[in-house]
Amino acid sequence: MKQTPQEQQIAARMAPGVLSREGFLDGDRRALAEIIDTDRSAVESAGLTGEQLADGLEAVLKAAMAAMGREVAVGGWTARYREAMGRIPCPWGGCGVFPKGEVEMTQPTGGGVLRFTPLSVHLIRRHSFYQGRGTRYRLEPLVLARALGMI
Amino acid sequence: MTAGASILAQITVAQQAPGLMAIFFAAAITDNILLTRFLGMCSYLSISRQMKSAVGLGAAVVVVTACTAALNAALYWHVLKPLGLEVSLQLILFIIVIAAFVQLLEMIVERVSLTLYFSLGVFLPLITVNCAILGASLFMINKDYQVVEGLVYGAGAGVGWMLAIVLLAGIRYRLRNAKIPAALEGPGITLIISGIMALAFIGFSGLIKS
Amino acid sequence: MALATLVVAGFCTAFAALLVVAERYLLNYGQCKITVNEGARRLDVKGGSTLLASLMGEGIFIPSACGGKGTCAYCKVKVLDGGGPVVPTEEPLLTPQELADNVRISCQVKVRNDISVAIPEELFNVREYTATVERIRDLTYDIKELRLKLIDPPEISFTPGQYVQLQAPPYGDNPDSVYRAYSISSPPSDESHVELIIRLVPGGICTTWVFTVLKEGMEVKFNGPHGRFRLTASDRAMVWIAGGSGMAPFWCMVRHLREKNIARACRYFFGAVAQRDLFLTGELAGLSKELGWFQFIPALSGKDQSQWSGERGLITEVVDRHVPCPDSAEAYLCGSPGMIDASIKVLQAKGFGEKDIYFDKFA
Repeated sequence: MKQTPQEQQIAARMAPGVLSREGFLDGDRRALAEIIDTDRSAVESAGLTGEQLADGLEAVLKAAMAAMGREVAVGGWTARYREAMGRIPCPWGGCGVFPKGEVEMTQPTGGGVLRFTPLSVHLIRRHSFYQGRGTRYRLEPLVLARALGMI
Repeated sequence: MTAGASILAQITVAQQAPGLMAIFFAAAITDNILLTRFLGMCSYLSISRQMKSAVGLGAAVVVVTACTAALNAALYWHVLKPLGLEVSLQLILFIIVIAAFVQLLEMIVERVSLTLYFSLGVFLPLITVNCAILGASLFMINKDYQVVEGLVYGAGAGVGWMLAIVLLAGIRYRLRNAKIPAALEGPGITLIISGIMALAFIGFSGLIKS
Repeated sequence: MALATLVVAGFCTAFAALLVVAERYLLNYGQCKITVNEGARRLDVKGGSTLLASLMGEGIFIPSACGGKGTCAYCKVKVLDGGGPVVPTEEPLLTPQELADNVRISCQVKVRNDISVAIPEELFNVREYTATVERIRDLTYDIKELRLKLIDPPEISFTPGQYVQLQAPPYGDNPDSVYRAYSISSPPSDESHVELIIRLVPGGICTTWVFTVLKEGMEVKFNGPHGRFRLTASDRAMVWIAGGSGMAPFWCMVRHLREKNIARACRYFFGAVAQRDLFLTGELAGLSKELGWFQFIPALSGKDQSQWSGERGLITEVVDRHVPCPDSAEAYLCGSPGMIDASIKVLQAKGFGEKDIYFDKFA
């Protein structure tokens, strides 16, 4: 699938070793626009919007960051913020830089682990981008919606 | 008496020889290289998401198609035909000319005008593999056009391609909030729209007899 | 048949030659002069590269966090003349005021002709250093201390609180080298060495390299010193707050103050989750005893700290308990953005003014 020069640049920034070791797409060979479209329709088919998911995720992020490394309980999940110094820019360019560090959400009953970063919240809210399949911070939209209790 | 006869003769000639304007309009509208001949669909489908990219890419296609059609016509009629190699070599040499021309044009545009380079030049690498450009050259040879006619035909084909992508970008913009069935999102609905546009363009075919 | 092959070969050669000549002639911008700060430095570079690459090639190290890909906006430079039209990739990164002031993103500006730029003065003191890894020490399960011996130049001078940009070379799948910023944790008196405290960032390019590839004896490159985070020259009492690898500048500062016999009242709060996250506690506790003006207060926020007899709670809670309303005091912060924001709130609630709170903005 052909990409505009801008899309090519964004995809180039998402490559491994540019902004982070794994990048944002890793083994996912699909075009960026296709990844975004597929995820967006998954979200819409569940009757939700990206904004809602971003809001829910941000609430978890805020609670975890306020606890500064201590575990907090958020809606049936346990969240822990693993802090890091430094900031990472958004691959789209022009959106600013975001704190590094990750939030790990685990279910006390065992099972799912979700990981995301402050940048993830922005990528979902502003660009409807849930990251490529197989990356560390990939959030399957429906899994996320279920975790946040929205479906 | 003779003055009237010569004027009549001139009008008859003008009516018989296909005018350059007719060639241009036929290439752009009735024989639209994208909507009638279905060439150059790859970048057409993906770049029509945004109007700005569509216009930039379309303009690049117009310039390249016009120039390469003229170059290829010159190459065909003045080099290949005399040597009798036109059948075997026209395809490969047309491709080489197009690829080289695009590279050269990119360098020239970057040197001459940066503003033009940012709005148009960045699309040039994308159109090296646009089959509409090769198609225009080949159709032009089929119709036995010479260099000037080839230039006009190429320009018309390019303008027709640009018209199609700009129209599609406009339609996709209008449809951006529409609820489209999941299976048809992206290429699916775009092809359906293109099919309907192609049907509309068929209506033009009665205008010019070519 | 032979004729056909000849014709094709002939055309291919002709076009290839044409393109080579065109590239030589059209894309050759010749030598271009870069005038820096109205003549403070004059550079003569080969045109065609980006402004950032040209400046760095000449030893002027503009900060960059995204490797020149046009997304972090750290490499802003004011272009007085000769920058050409604004590149579309620059526009989203610049405010209207910056555009009016001719501030440009130097990794997107190509040097095509003579160009005149203005950069902050302190960048003139930044050099590129080659060093060997003298020692790698594990401080905790995810924090290492690097001790680097400088080779060329052999000495470095800096102010406590400044940082360097360490270069992680291409390794694994990474095609290019990358620079990341780390505060210097050794005191300036040790001119031939630089110590860095580095914490592993999951998925981080540079930290993964340090933890998996870097070994003692290997050569590294870095540029510096950078940064405006430093102690003021006053004698006001100080509150230091840090967490994780934010310890680095303070470990440098306290040793520097001790060497210079500067007895400024100082309370250093260090926050962590569990005991395994603490490091240098023995050394800092020792300094606490030795120096009457220095107090080290580590605090653990995690649950179940049965072995711990020190402070408990979030670092912000501990600071809240211990720090009285300041009539004249300064606060210095170093840690993750979340910790810094939370600490600023607590300090401001106590009456610390905005200009009395200092922190490292690159974090």
